Amino acid sequence: MLKEGKIGLAEAVSITTLLIITKIFYSSTAVVVKKTGTAAWYMTIISFLTSMLLFTLVYILMKRFPGKNIIEIFQIVLGRFIGKSLGLGFSAFILYYSAMSLREFLELLKAYVLPYTPPSLIFASFICVTILLAYLGFEVIARVSYISIYPVLIGLGILLILASTYYKVDNIKPFFGYGLNTTMYNGVMRSSAYAEVMLLAVAMNTLKDTKTFKKAGYISLVFGGAFFSICLLLYVMAFSYTIGSENLSGMFQLSRIIYLSRFVQRVESLFLFIWVISSVVTVSISFYMSMATYCKVFDIPSQKPLVYVFGILLFTLAILPKNLSEVIEIHMIVIRQYSGIWVFGGPIIVLLISLLLRKKGGSIKDEKI
Amino acid sequence: MQKKSSIHNLFSLISYKEKKEINDFYIPEINEEDKHVQNNSKQSSIKSETTNLSVDADDNNISTIMQANIEYLFKKFNYPVNKDFVMREFLVAGKYKAFIAYIDGMVDRVTINNFILRPLLNFTNLPDMGNDSQLDFLLKNVLETNQAEKVTKPADIVYGILSGNTCLYVDGCSYYLSCETKGFEKRGVETPQTEGLVRGPQEAFNENLRTNVTLIRRLIKDTNLTTEFVKVGKRTNVQCAVVYINGIINPAIVQEVKRRLTGISADLVMGDGMLEQFIEDSSYTVVPTILSTERPDRTASHLLEGRIAIIVDGTPFALIAPVTLHSFMHTPEETFFKWPVGSLIRLIRIFAVFVAALLPALYIGMVGYHTEMIPTDLMIAIISAKENVPFPTVLEVLLMELSFELIREAGVRIPGLIGNTLGIIGALILGQAAVQANIVSPVLIIIVAVTGLGNFAIPNFSVAFAVRIIRFAFIFGAALLGFYGIGLVLVAVIALLSNMKSFGVPFLSITAPKTSTSGDLIFKKPVWKQEKRPDNINPLDVRRQPNISRKWAQEDAESEERKNIDDGRRDEDA
Repeated sequence: MLKEGKIGLAEAVSITTLLIITKIFYSSTAVVVKKTGTAAWYMTIISFLTSMLLFTLVYILMKRFPGKNIIEIFQIVLGRFIGKSLGLGFSAFILYYSAMSLREFLELLKAYVLPYTPPSLIFASFICVTILLAYLGFEVIARVSYISIYPVLIGLGILLILASTYYKVDNIKPFFGYGLNTTMYNGVMRSSAYAEVMLLAVAMNTLKDTKTFKKAGYISLVFGGAFFSICLLLYVMAFSYTIGSENLSGMFQLSRIIYLSRFVQRVESLFLFIWVISSVVTVSISFYMSMATYCKVFDIPSQKPLVYVFGILLFTLAILPKNLSEVIEIHMIVIRQYSGIWVFGGPIIVLLISLLLRKKGGSIKDEKI
Repeated sequence: MQKKSSIHNLFSLISYKEKKEINDFYIPEINEEDKHVQNNSKQSSIKSETTNLSVDADDNNISTIMQANIEYLFKKFNYPVNKDFVMREFLVAGKYKAFIAYIDGMVDRVTINNFILRPLLNFTNLPDMGNDSQLDFLLKNVLETNQAEKVTKPADIVYGILSGNTCLYVDGCSYYLSCETKGFEKRGVETPQTEGLVRGPQEAFNENLRTNVTLIRRLIKDTNLTTEFVKVGKRTNVQCAVVYINGIINPAIVQEVKRRLTGISADLVMGDGMLEQFIEDSSYTVVPTILSTERPDRTASHLLEGRIAIIVDGTPFALIAPVTLHSFMHTPEETFFKWPVGSLIRLIRIFAVFVAALLPALYIGMVGYHTEMIPTDLMIAIISAKENVPFPTVLEVLLMELSFELIREAGVRIPGLIGNTLGIIGALILGQAAVQANIVSPVLIIIVAVTGLGNFAIPNFSVAFAVRIIRFAFIFGAALLGFYGIGLVLVAVIALLSNMKSFGVPFLSITAPKTSTSGDLIFKKPVWKQEKRPDNINPLDVRRQPNISRKWAQEDAESEERKNIDDGRRDEDA
């Protein structure tokens, strides 16, 4: 059994919230605006509602097996072989997610800040810190994410306020964007952007009980949804949907245009801090989760000997895509648009099977015996 | 066979070995207490102590023959080579052979002459009542010292003599009498050297353990204030006082501190600095996990919050555990000022930490990587000042930092007044000369000076040192990767800090993991609103004061209400 320690509600919420909202720094903003135009800000609310629904289904599954994490539930319902294979698939997917987040971060960093630095150096330094965090364990990652969520949110708030000189309400017209159909379709598909909340199901053992799981999940979803909606709304108001769909990193571009006086201008480098901190923590969480899933599948008691091997895997995966367009057009579409089918779909199928087979975990007391 | 084992060793270097499971110490919640105590403590069996009448004196037995005991003590104290050891033989009441033994310099001669020797020699009517009872009689009727006790173990009497007591033995007895005669030279209670305050008490600990404990007891006049003594160090045999308030502190902490103290098996444990290294949780961190203070009032306030203090004989400091990073940022000053002032002082200190750790790194990153964020005018100023300097910025910074550290170190070592002068003159002249010689740019002098100021504003000396070390990590991060590098180092530092523990308490707790605060973390609440003790150390008594601690305010409100009602009635009547 992997020793992970215990985390509280606040830390659990900050982990998932940070995972969800970090996307706003990446290409996600522009892609959404490109797909749904001026309707982007309420499209994300549709995604949020969809993911709430899907998360509720997962919660029902978790409630049937109190005290068990999702990997154990897979094994209980589907048998050891299929359960473990599914768990392994999850581990591989989370690693892939982690690597692609890293790659996207690198591409944007190269484009905006460090054009002459070799990518391998950026990768290596980033992965060193990631390995350190993963080595120290889940409790430490949870604490770091709880501490770093404050500067990230406060920094973003300041950014949005400083850029307020550019907001024009007319920019969000026409209200229906490219039509309700497109908005609805994209809204449902982009619920994958909230699929990070499923990591709570993997880390179930570190939470106090299923109630905390439910609370943490809902709070971070609501938080993420509101956050995305506000950010997208203000982004479209600042750039309009035409230019807005062309920026590489929406929020970073927004910080670049800030001009208050001759002294307060081009302050994007300060926002680089929150961007780096949130990215490192996000990649570290997913990197750790990938290892944790692997450990849970094979009953490995500690993730520590795995960190170096997984670190190399992360590096290799991250360096695979040929260029930025491959990252954005293939991998990010897979992760932010279709991954939900797999991440939410898997557990929901398992829920259906467990309902059909009437499999149910006992109370926590029984399990302990 | 040899070959096989070397291959085996080689493989063992790279293969994964499951670590031996170590039971992490943690402070249990109050209801968990009983279970934890059972687990943590080893059942100690109390041996019944019996005194044997014996002729030979050795480490286990006290002889009933005086000569044997004298020889034993001579051997123990390496007499006559060792000139510190003094033994005087005499006759009690003119007929019973006896001796006293002590170490010259550790004792008060007046006490020995007037209140031990004189009564014993002048006393004449000693009744004949069996050997052991005679000493009892002497203890009760003749000796005039305030503390005197029977000692039945040779090791105890040796330790007593070493710590300044006088040993009395009368022929035929099976035990010694240990009379308290400590009288070595010591410093008086003076003002604090490193933790000075504008407002508040101006007393500091000194090197005498008894004085130090008394200073605390004077502040907390509570029967539950408990002092236990533990001997540490095989040869130094230093006395450590473990001070806590029974009923507030979680008993697991006391047990753990005593376990760690008694578990030290080292020759030399001298002072609080060494003891700290022997008992701290993580030795490989730059930030301390035990708070060292020279102020009795600060120690008292920590005791009242449910922490423990360890005072080592011979040092004017108390060690306080378990602590978190926040405790290192506090001084008693804030408590003595009103809450807005206190909060402001703390904010300035936190700002100082950031300046001390990050400013040079930010400068390097800004000049080297993120020039666009510097306004053009300022940029031109920086560039024109830097034009004649042949070194890269990072080298300039390292050069200046190094000289700054040199000045500081030299200032500490040079005696007295010259030290201060050297600091100021050295910094001024060196900086000015360096700028004129085009070795560094003038902007950098400002940066390094402000960084130095920030470092001095950190209230704890050990933390200030740690920040100095961490600063270099940030400088290298910035030189290599700009703000991105600083961001990475920042996350790594936060991760390492949150991994640290102080006696089982996470070092960043209250913030992460989040626990309820006592209203005294960064922003201070008014003192009457600080109702609870910090939750992260699981004190037995959580509440510090009732919800309404200012009863007079309630009385005022009630009388106001009554007055209003009376006024209302009067109006109605009218």
